[in-house]
This record gives sequence, C-alpha cells and structure tokens, in this order.
Amino acid sequence: MDESTAVGEPLVHIRNFRMDFGSQTVIRDLSFDVHAGETFGFLGSNGSGKTTTLRALLGIYQPTAGVLHIGGKVFEPRDGARLGYLPEERGLYKREPVLDVMVYFGRLKGLSRDAAAAWSRTYLERVSLADKATTRLDKLSGGQQQKIQLGVTIMNDPELLILDEPTQGFDPVNRRLLMDIIDEQKRAGATVIMVTHQMDEVERLCDRVVLLKDGTAEAYGTVEDVQDKYGGTVVRLLYAGPLPTSDLFDVISADGSSAELAPRAGTDETEILRELLGHGVAVRSFTPARTSLEEIFLRVYGNQNELVGV
Amino acid sequence: MAQHNLGTVVGFEFLRVVTKKRFWFAALAVPIALAAVFALVFISNSSTDQTAKAQKNAQFTFTYTDESGLVTTAVAATFGGTSAADGDQAVADVKNGTVDAYFAYPADPATQPVRVYGVDRGIFENGKYDAVARQILVAGAQQTIGSPALSAMAQGDVKITSETYKDGQVSGGLDTVIPPLLFLLIFYISIVMLGNQMLNSTLEEKENRVTEMILTTMNPTTLIVGKVISLFMVGAVQMITFALPVVIGYIFFRSNLNLPDVDLSHLVLEPQAMVVGFLLLLGGFLLFTGTLVAIGAMVPTVKEAGTYFAPLMIMIFVPFYVVSVIVSDPHAVIVQVFTYFPYTASVTAMLRNGLGSLTLAESGIVIVELFGLGFVALRLAVYLFRYGSIEYSKKLALRSVLRRKSRA
Repeated sequence: MDESTAVGEPLVHIRNFRMDFGSQTVIRDLSFDVHAGETFGFLGSNGSGKTTTLRALLGIYQPTAGVLHIGGKVFEPRDGARLGYLPEERGLYKREPVLDVMVYFGRLKGLSRDAAAAWSRTYLERVSLADKATTRLDKLSGGQQQKIQLGVTIMNDPELLILDEPTQGFDPVNRRLLMDIIDEQKRAGATVIMVTHQMDEVERLCDRVVLLKDGTAEAYGTVEDVQDKYGGTVVRLLYAGPLPTSDLFDVISADGSSAELAPRAGTDETEILRELLGHGVAVRSFTPARTSLEEIFLRVYGNQNELVGV
Repeated sequence: MAQHNLGTVVGFEFLRVVTKKRFWFAALAVPIALAAVFALVFISNSSTDQTAKAQKNAQFTFTYTDESGLVTTAVAATFGGTSAADGDQAVADVKNGTVDAYFAYPADPATQPVRVYGVDRGIFENGKYDAVARQILVAGAQQTIGSPALSAMAQGDVKITSETYKDGQVSGGLDTVIPPLLFLLIFYISIVMLGNQMLNSTLEEKENRVTEMILTTMNPTTLIVGKVISLFMVGAVQMITFALPVVIGYIFFRSNLNLPDVDLSHLVLEPQAMVVGFLLLLGGFLLFTGTLVAIGAMVPTVKEAGTYFAPLMIMIFVPFYVVSVIVSDPHAVIVQVFTYFPYTASVTAMLRNGLGSLTLAESGIVIVELFGLGFVALRLAVYLFRYGSIEYSKKLALRSVLRRKSRA
C-alpha cells in the first residue's frame, strides 16, 4: 500500500463485483470506493455478502467478475504489508503462548523481534492481560482471545484496517475499549473499513457507509446522505395537552408528554411548530433530528428479515 | 522481506515443535529404550565375561580319562586335574563328593562329545566344568600342532580380502553398495517419522481458523516452504537423537555390547552413485512432502487426513515386495513400472542405484520426474492452501477450486 496508487483511484476501489458460489449468486453487482484516511461502514444483514466481499477484496476468494483493488491493484499478500485484517472467523495458534504468537505476527508484519515483543507487552498492559503473556491462548477466555486477536491486527500501525464485526464477543466495557482503539487508529491516519451491526458506533465513527442488499449497494454515501435518503428528519417533542392530527406530519410515537413526529414530504419543521402552537399544544421542547441508522437499518432490512423468518 | 519472513516462519515452526515436552518424550523414547537395552546387554556381558574368565581359571579338583591322546598331564595339572584309572570309579567319586568333577575325553573329540560329570554348584557356576574341560583340550591340541599361527588358522582366525572386476576395473562389491543405500534408509526414516507432521502442517491453520490472518499477512508460498524447511530440521533433530546412542554405543562400548566390528574404511564412495542417491533422496522427499502438504490443505480435520496417509505409506514399501526381482532382473516390466511410477520411483530407483543397475539415463529421468512432480505438488499445496483452506469445515473439491481460479 505504500506503492504508487493508480492515478485518481481511491485506496479501495470496487467496481461491478460479482460473486457466484456454484449456482448461487451472493453478490450481483457491487461498486463502491473507500478513500484514504476515512472510516467506512460496510453494512448489511446477515448473509448479505459482506464477508464474501472482504475476502474477495483480500484475494482469499477469486471473484466471478469485477474489479477489486487496494492501492490501485489486486491485493497480493505481500510479506510485511501494513494491512490489518480482523476476520469474522477468528483464531490464532491456540497451543502457543500469547507473547510468542504476537511476536510471530509482529515479525511477519515487518517488526524486529525486540520491537514486536515491546509493542506486545505494552498492548497487553493496556488491555489488562499483562499477566497472560506466557499463557497458552487456549487457556484464555473468548473475550481475552479476541483482545489478543485485535492486538495482532493493529500491530505495526496498519495503513488499512479491515474489521469484520469487531465487537463480536465483547462485553460492553471491552466494546468501548475496542472502539477507543479503533478511534485511535483512525486518528493516527489509518483507513478503516468496518463491518458491524452496532449502528450507534457507525454513526459515531464512520464517515461514509454502504448498505448491501440483494447483492448490490442499496445505499452509499456519507452517514448524513443515507439518513437523508431513507429517513430524512424527525421532530422530537416534549409537550402537554392533546396532540392534534395534521396533514403536515405523521406521529411515529407519542406517550402524552413526548412524541416523535415524521414531517411529510415538503413540510418544513417551522410549519409543524406553528401548527402545534395553533392547536394550543404546550410545547416544552421541539428538536428536529435525523433518523437514526438503526431505524433505517430496520426499515431497509425489516421486510427481508421477516421473509427470512417465514 | 520475503527472506526475513521465511526465517521467521522456519524459526517459529521449528521452535514450537522442539520446545514442546511431548516432542522430546516421543523423540527420546526410542533412544532411552535403546540405551536401557544396551545397558542391560553391557551389564550382562560384563558379568558373563568376568564369570567366564573366573571359571576358566577356576581351581577345583577333578580327574580325567583321555582316549584321544591330546590331553597332557602337565596341562591338566595346571588346572588341578589328575588322571583317573577307571571311568566308572571316577564318576562314583564325583557322586560321593570325593572330587569336584570328572572329564572323559573320547578318542575323537571332533566327532564325539567330551563327557563332563560334576558336583552341582548351581546353574551358573556349573559352567566352569565345561570351560575348563574345553580349555584343556584346546591347549592340548595347540601343543600337538606346535605352532601358534597354525593354531589360529585351525580356528578360522584368518583375514581375507577379495577383489572383483567390472568392465576391467576393480569393483567394490558390497562395500560400494552400502553407502548409496544409506540414502534409502534416511528416506524411510524421514518419511515415516515426519509423514504425519507433513500431513498436519497446514491443518493447524485451518483448525485454529488462523488461515485468513496468515493469507493477508504473508505470501502462502513462504509459509509452505518455511514449514517444509522446519520439518526437515525437526527430522534432523529426531534422527540425531535416535542415532546418538547407537553411535556412542558403537564407538565406546562395541566389545561390551558384542556389536559387529565393521571396518568403515573399507566402504567405497562411488561419486556417481552417491550424487544420484542424494538427488533421489531430495526429489523423493520433495514429492512426498508436497503431496502430503497438499492433502493437508484439502481436508478439514486430522482424522480425515489420516485416511490419505496409509496409501502413500504403502507405496513406499511396495517395492520391497519385488526386491528379489529388482536385484535379479532390473529390466523386468514390474521393476520398470516401479522405477517410473512417481510414488514408488524414489525407493525403487534408490535400491537400483545402490545395487548398480540404474543407468545414468534412467537416473536422470527419475530425478527430473521426482523434482518436477515435487515442485508441482508443492505449487498445488500452496494453491490449495491459498484458495481452499478458507473452507474450514469441509473437504475441498479440487476441481471446483481450480475452476474458480480459471474463471477469474
């Protein structure tokens, strides 16, 4: 990735990607880019082809058709390349001591033995596993093994960090720790591609997202673009008095003192406020906001999941 | 960087094996058992030797009668013996304990047994009667011959050197056969000892779900080559561990252990046979390693890998079922088939090379075949590992993997 990128091509470039497994088409036609330095959310329901796309991007799967480039070319597992990949299927050499495994991967990623050992000890200290350095990996809990896996992934300051469901297996405390570490990598200049179902974290960390559905990009752009496209804005209201019915908005939820209203097309929030006041509603708080990604995710994939459930 | 990573892989793979207790337990089990056997043989032989010497010089009272005329009074006297006038009386004297033993030497000791009668002193000590009776006869015979040299020859204690000719040149005989056949021995030991490790070398990555991390961190060729080199190093350590007690036993305790006195200086190292043997060993090792690693990349579990191991092992032992044909008629069809069929070629060719029936042209063909197919197998192993080992839980269909690659 430190080599010259094709002129004008983003760090990650996917065009017309198609992936068949036998007679089954998993990805139909997918195109998106990830620019250097951004944090990119790769979203989709279970089985939508996110992991398949990442594996094809990393040369683990051979694509049926299309272009998948990293740094302007097809990815080749080059010794010492500064790529950090946390796969969905996790695993390390379980019968070996933690430090030995970390040093091994550190060496493979281009660090000297001493540098890899020093980095590993510092990391273990940070994730409260310093006393486990000489313990075999299979003697650690699942969450502890996940931390080691993350450590191996971010060794040697990767330029491109690809995380496939990074929070999988973490409790809320360690999830926060993990997100902090990812945030640090981002601030250090790493490009991050993240597959996750934690929509609050996507909103917090990601610059842009792609929503994968039926083997193609259902939505693609900045988080705000997607919110605008699928949810627009909502009005969060604290009030007293009866809530009137109106042609200007739909009531998403209301409990007598708070409500969430969805403005109808072409309606301005100011008109809604005027309408409410005109009907004698005692408005204590009136806050226009964007629809959450979680809500959008439910809207986009809700029917699909119901069908799957059937 | 690739070289750096090759060293890293070799170091990691080698150390993680040789630092395990179970490796040394397995590696030392045979040498320890050998050492224990050697120690028992040593102790037993020392004790027997000392006792035999003691018995040979043991002084006890005995009488003898001699119809052969070989036993002299002087020799018998040195052992404490006196001539008996009557054999029956002498036996009676033994029975009542008047004398310890009575030896009856027949007229022709070469065809008739020397009869020994003695007072029972226990199973082991009773052996002294035989020893003394025999020694007296030997001393008597030597005195009759009158020449130590003739005595030695009479006992077959002579050295013979033979020289045979092939195409007008001196041929080394058995001394030229042994050195190249050592490569065959090394081949068998390495495949038998390392075969399972070769088969399982890439399975660990699959079973531990570490394949994706590896495939995105380094070139799979580096991994496979590193694993093969480390396997070779592990095999070398095992062979040294196995051989060391034998070498030590041979050098320092040969006589105590009754090991044959092999004069290694007589062995003839024929350059062509040695070079061909070495190349056949390397080529065969490469082919089997590549094949076993490729199988390991195809199957999901150690158990399933085991089903492929037995047929390959059978193939390296099959040539021994026709070894008599290989020796007597190297041009027989079955020998030719075994010489060129890849998985029997290395053993058959090494045997024929040792026996001198493999021509230079045949050697060249087999060596090229082994190296060529070995590299193909290794390439296939790398390819299967790269594109197939991600199928963690199911056996790969080779055809579908290759089709996937060609379509791309």
